[in-house]
Amino acid sequence: MSNPWIAIGALALVGILIPLGMMSVSKLLRPRVPEQGKTSTYESGEIPTGDTRIRFNIQYYMVALLFVVFDIETVLIFPWTVIYRSALENGVSLMEILAPMLVFIGVLVVGLGWAWRNGAVKWVRSPRAASERRTKQ
Amino acid sequence: MTGPLQATTLPETLSGLLGLNTNDPLQWFLAALIASALVGTLMLTNTALVIWAKRKITAAFTDRIAINRVGPFGLLIIVADAVRLLSKELIVPDEVDRPAYDLAPLVLASSALLGFAVIPMGNGIQIADPETGLAYVFAVASLASLGLVMAGYASNNKYSFLGSLRAVAQNLAYEIPLVLTGVSVVIFAGTLRLSEIVAAQSETLFTLGGLAIPSWYAFVNPFAFVLFMAANLAEVGRNPFDIPEAPNEIVAGYMTEYSSVYFVLLYLGEFIHVFLGAAIVTTLFLGGPAGPVLPGIVWFLIKIWAVFLFTQWTRSAVPRVRIDQLIEIGWKGMLVLSIANLVLTAVIVGVLV
Repeated sequence: MSNPWIAIGALALVGILIPLGMMSVSKLLRPRVPEQGKTSTYESGEIPTGDTRIRFNIQYYMVALLFVVFDIETVLIFPWTVIYRSALENGVSLMEILAPMLVFIGVLVVGLGWAWRNGAVKWVRSPRAASERRTKQ
Repeated sequence: MTGPLQATTLPETLSGLLGLNTNDPLQWFLAALIASALVGTLMLTNTALVIWAKRKITAAFTDRIAINRVGPFGLLIIVADAVRLLSKELIVPDEVDRPAYDLAPLVLASSALLGFAVIPMGNGIQIADPETGLAYVFAVASLASLGLVMAGYASNNKYSFLGSLRAVAQNLAYEIPLVLTGVSVVIFAGTLRLSEIVAAQSETLFTLGGLAIPSWYAFVNPFAFVLFMAANLAEVGRNPFDIPEAPNEIVAGYMTEYSSVYFVLLYLGEFIHVFLGAAIVTTLFLGGPAGPVLPGIVWFLIKIWAVFLFTQWTRSAVPRVRIDQLIEIGWKGMLVLSIANLVLTAVIVGVLV
């Protein structure tokens, strides 16, 4: 059988070989002049202060959690959209094919509305940043 | 083997020409490899042209002349730029996270190229036509955000780090509206196979003064088309949603610390990704490679360049939104609209069929 995934695998191989080829061409062409000042990270020309391996505040944490729920929901909608039209053409009634999905989407919309009202779908200001803002004013 | 109704894919045509046996996995892989090299070269040529086209287009928008010295219309600048960028010194900053730092450009460039495997480009140029083509192409297209996060985190630079955090936030905001709008097309077509989605759009919608208007889903469902174009802008990270890069806020975002060939790969990968987004739009909403007079592949290229021109137009004309605004646009605007679009499409199809 001419399996399409073998063909996709072939493109994956080409897709990796092309960048690797460019990397090796560049390796042959480019100069190498190591100097100490060059290798510091860019911070608008200043001497960098500390690194980025720190604890930080993800201000869209709740949004990310919601995303996981909704992403799975889209996966569940996929098969329904595929069979929807052919099921209707083969005489399945609208009640049978449309109503369950409307209920499913309805539940999600209610969930989204609840998250929206509770302020989950927004950019959260960290307590520290908020207090610094207050003291400034 | 594939049925008689299905269009043959490029590896199948090639194995026919070269006398290879498609039932033998090795020979089939060889044919697919040649086809992949052809498609990969075609797409890379397109992206190389971007180096020139992008400057010319932006110059036209801002009333300048731009490159015109090297070669006709300055076209040879592509060669000059390619050699110049590849022969730059590769500066790896201190304390970068080494495997991730090297892999990020690779992930970005190859994942974008990988998506073209299932895109029908006309004249039988399509590497594979799996049953789950649409799901595959969405999955591969969103791999790029992984590359952005790797690049940003590994660089050990604060600007890069901010850029990668923004890339994640952006991914969260647009991904669901994009996919939900995409599947509203599947309700019409009833299949995830991209060649069949294209075939379903070849029927005549209505005749206007002797001109047969095909039932491209952009005409059938213009609302979904507009929504998808907006979500697609966010997916490929162009203005007004080019937040992960934001050249005048966070230097160059995730690519701040990249130089030489790594920068080329990130830049190239980004534009292959723009073309992949354009190819998805073309396949789903603009009838794929269909069009009068000219051969399919030419129409396909015209359409993806048209979508590319659109991204360049928004780049010149629309201001960037803030990241918190993007989250609100995504979750309070586009998600609600895309759910409404899905439900309305289902109801309309249900009443009409």
